[in-house]
Amino acid sequence: MRFTTRHTAAFLAGLLLAIAIIPGTQERPRAQEHPARIISVVPALTETLFAIGAGDAVVGVGTFDKHPPEVATRTHVGGLLDPDMERIFALRPDLVVFYGSQQDQIKQMSRAGIETFTYAHGGIDDTLSVIRRLGTRVGRASEATRLTNAIDTQIANVRARLAGRDRPRVLLVFGRQPGSLGNIYASGGAGFLHDMLEAAAGRNVLADVSRESIQLSSEAILTAAPEVIVELTYDDLMTEDTQAAEIAVWDRLSSVPAVRNKRVHLLLGNQFVQPGPRMGDSIEAIARTLHPEAF
Amino acid sequence: MREATATLPALRPVSAGDLRRRIWLVQVGFGALAVAACIGAPLVGPTTISLRQVFDTTIPFGQNVDAQIFFIARLPRAFAGALVGGSLAAAGVVLQALLRNPLATPFTLGVSAGASLGAMLVITLGVPFTALRSAAVPVASFAGALGALAIVYFLATMRRQGLSTLVLLLAGVTLNSLFSAIILFVQYLADPAQTLQSVRWVMGNLDIGSYRPILWALGPMGLAFVAFARLPRALNLLTLGADSAAVRGINVLRTQRVAFLSASLATGAAVAVGGPIGFIGIIVPHLVRLLVGDDHRLVLPASIGLGAAFLVVCDVAARTVLSPMELPVGVITAMLGGPFFLWLLVRNR
Amino acid sequence: MLRAEQVSFSYDTRPVLDGVDVSVQTGGLVGVLGPNGSGKTTFLKLLAGLLTPASGHITLDDVDITTMDRRTLARRVAVVPQETELAFDYSVLEIVLMGRYPHLQTFELEGPADLAIARRTLAATGTAHLEQRTFRTLSGGEKQRIVMASALAQFEGAPSTPDSRDPPHEDTNTTRVLLLDEPTSSLDLSFQLATATLIAELNRTYRTTAVVCTHDLNFAAGLCRSLVLLRDGRVVASGPTDEVLTPATIGAVYDVEADVHRHEITRHLTVVPLARL
Repeated sequence: MRFTTRHTAAFLAGLLLAIAIIPGTQERPRAQEHPARIISVVPALTETLFAIGAGDAVVGVGTFDKHPPEVATRTHVGGLLDPDMERIFALRPDLVVFYGSQQDQIKQMSRAGIETFTYAHGGIDDTLSVIRRLGTRVGRASEATRLTNAIDTQIANVRARLAGRDRPRVLLVFGRQPGSLGNIYASGGAGFLHDMLEAAAGRNVLADVSRESIQLSSEAILTAAPEVIVELTYDDLMTEDTQAAEIAVWDRLSSVPAVRNKRVHLLLGNQFVQPGPRMGDSIEAIARTLHPEAF
Repeated sequence: MREATATLPALRPVSAGDLRRRIWLVQVGFGALAVAACIGAPLVGPTTISLRQVFDTTIPFGQNVDAQIFFIARLPRAFAGALVGGSLAAAGVVLQALLRNPLATPFTLGVSAGASLGAMLVITLGVPFTALRSAAVPVASFAGALGALAIVYFLATMRRQGLSTLVLLLAGVTLNSLFSAIILFVQYLADPAQTLQSVRWVMGNLDIGSYRPILWALGPMGLAFVAFARLPRALNLLTLGADSAAVRGINVLRTQRVAFLSASLATGAAVAVGGPIGFIGIIVPHLVRLLVGDDHRLVLPASIGLGAAFLVVCDVAARTVLSPMELPVGVITAMLGGPFFLWLLVRNR
Repeated sequence: MLRAEQVSFSYDTRPVLDGVDVSVQTGGLVGVLGPNGSGKTTFLKLLAGLLTPASGHITLDDVDITTMDRRTLARRVAVVPQETELAFDYSVLEIVLMGRYPHLQTFELEGPADLAIARRTLAATGTAHLEQRTFRTLSGGEKQRIVMASALAQFEGAPSTPDSRDPPHEDTNTTRVLLLDEPTSSLDLSFQLATATLIAELNRTYRTTAVVCTHDLNFAAGLCRSLVLLRDGRVVASGPTDEVLTPATIGAVYDVEADVHRHEITRHLTVVPLARL
């Protein structure tokens, strides 16, 4: 059979069609398949993935991810402000976990045909439901439910242990200029930190301000006169000396009951600032700080 | 361009005694304004305090909430506001005269960018010694300001023939861009909590809670103000142009040097205490010129007084309006400054 | 006497003046002429003490001006530049009072004597009625005259401090030099005449020495008793106007063929350019 022009044309057309279709059919994931290559820029959800046994599928993590130790072996792809899209694409993921505010990146992913999972910051219940949704999404629904049940139980135990106790008035601080009392950020009466405080049997002095984060003046702190001050910090490498120095900074406000009674505490670690699988531990840590005699 | 009637005619001197009277009036009047603001500010706030209790020495300080609010939360803010406001306004006046440009601000020449970089490096990278921790941010910020000052000064005086204000301006603008880029990079390295603190620092905060930053700042500010005292007449003559001033007996190079160094020192100290609070260095000099004319012997003292009072009042608003939330004082000066500029533009069309 | 002795000057590596030798008698009225780039303005700046010669000396009454204290020099030498751009707006009186700076101590305020002097110089330049106006609202000619008044205010002795070492301006033995750079460039005809008349009168009445840099040959010829012609930084001719302003020198300096004749009415030399050489 002679190869005529028509045959050549047909062959080329078929080749082009194959090139167009076949890669798409191989790489576009069908929704019901479990993702085998997951990237997560959200530390709490990275931790969750490992906690529910999906750690092997995780190929990329965020810059601020520290838990569990295995994340050190994964490729870092950036965080909330600076996700490295090139690197993300290069890892050929089939699921990428983003913050809800990273709309541009999510759109890029959908144009490329890659599935995304969105994390939205919320209170305790919202976070538990996010963990369960993620578990379902990666095919580990039962592990996720086990995890959230464990957290629920831990929280319930803490509540039970502290039931009937006096709930001290607490100022929950999560940001401050190092070495001074400038630019103090504390938790208002809404959001995850407030929920944790309530679960740990504390009363938020700023409960009547329905905002998640409040930048406070010294005057407001003196007026609120909290009985306990709990400061949360990311920096888990802070030395003992530095910790003592940072606590000593509060001494200036000596009329505040928390300062007078030496009830200013510093809690280290990023699990406090972003709710995730160790939520229960965080709440327990705060509870121990507020009610040492109950533990 | 202003019409001849823009200034209250009575304030332009017509007899020898007039000028003496005007200077005295301005110094006393605007000085009283600043003092009144400093006295009034600690009395005002979201929490009602009783003055009697504040000064009641029978109550131990550690239990006297009213006294602590007055002496720790409010009074340092008032002093800091007065010093920072006065310094920034004075620096604005001096730099506008030096650069012969009414749009110059204390931040035009890169000093505040240097200060911001210093502060952010400490906020992000931390401090090696615990002992330095409480002073770290203001000290690093002042060091950054000095660094920027040195670079700009060196660049502007490199040529044999003294100080070129054009090179000064270009060097300042370039340094601003360069430092902004470095600042972005430093923020990139920071964790979210540090980024939050850096961003908040840039908005300005006078809630220093102690008198120590004020005492430290008095050193460089004092030096700067001593220099400011001798500048006004020379600044007047500089308005005619460098050559015309020189020919009337002004040592132009020395005047320019002193003006630049003193304005930068005052700015650096102000930013180290309260962060880069904008708009004071330009609103206040303009307002003052509208009221008293352009003679720097009136404009400089008036600006110091008005700048001090203005910032103290803005700070009272910052800590009261959305209590218990603190509104950054730089946001308040910006909200007042923006419309003010629009108004300036409209009336000068 | 104001003398430039073998003065040379360069901007970086570019030579601008070379071996310039000029003497101006006390009470003289000298025009400095030359094409663009001849070094006229640089020469004026050197005479004013704004620039230091690379070689040679500028002396005022036999004292090298680079050794003189700035303020002392400012009481003897004043400059009226071609243009004055103010960064901020001052009143006319304030600007003239700035000329009193060389007579005041650091924190001293202008006294009644200073104000009187300022008003006198305003009257001398015919601008007394503009005293309370702001500078920017003035016309070009008015600005020029205010700046001249401010310059003249530098000379007047009788300052506010009683122990002044300066004799009043009426003392015609100390050399007071007024340097003018292109004084007519932005003026209309009537103001040009007025300026020439004013300079001549100051020169006649107070023996104010005047050195006028100008492009305008006819203006110089009408006003100045002697001329210095510069080209490429060198003196081509200097001396009494009648001797120096000839077609030959004009051709040598400007590359222009010109007719020079005495005007019937003014009796001053008049130059009419005819063709390019």
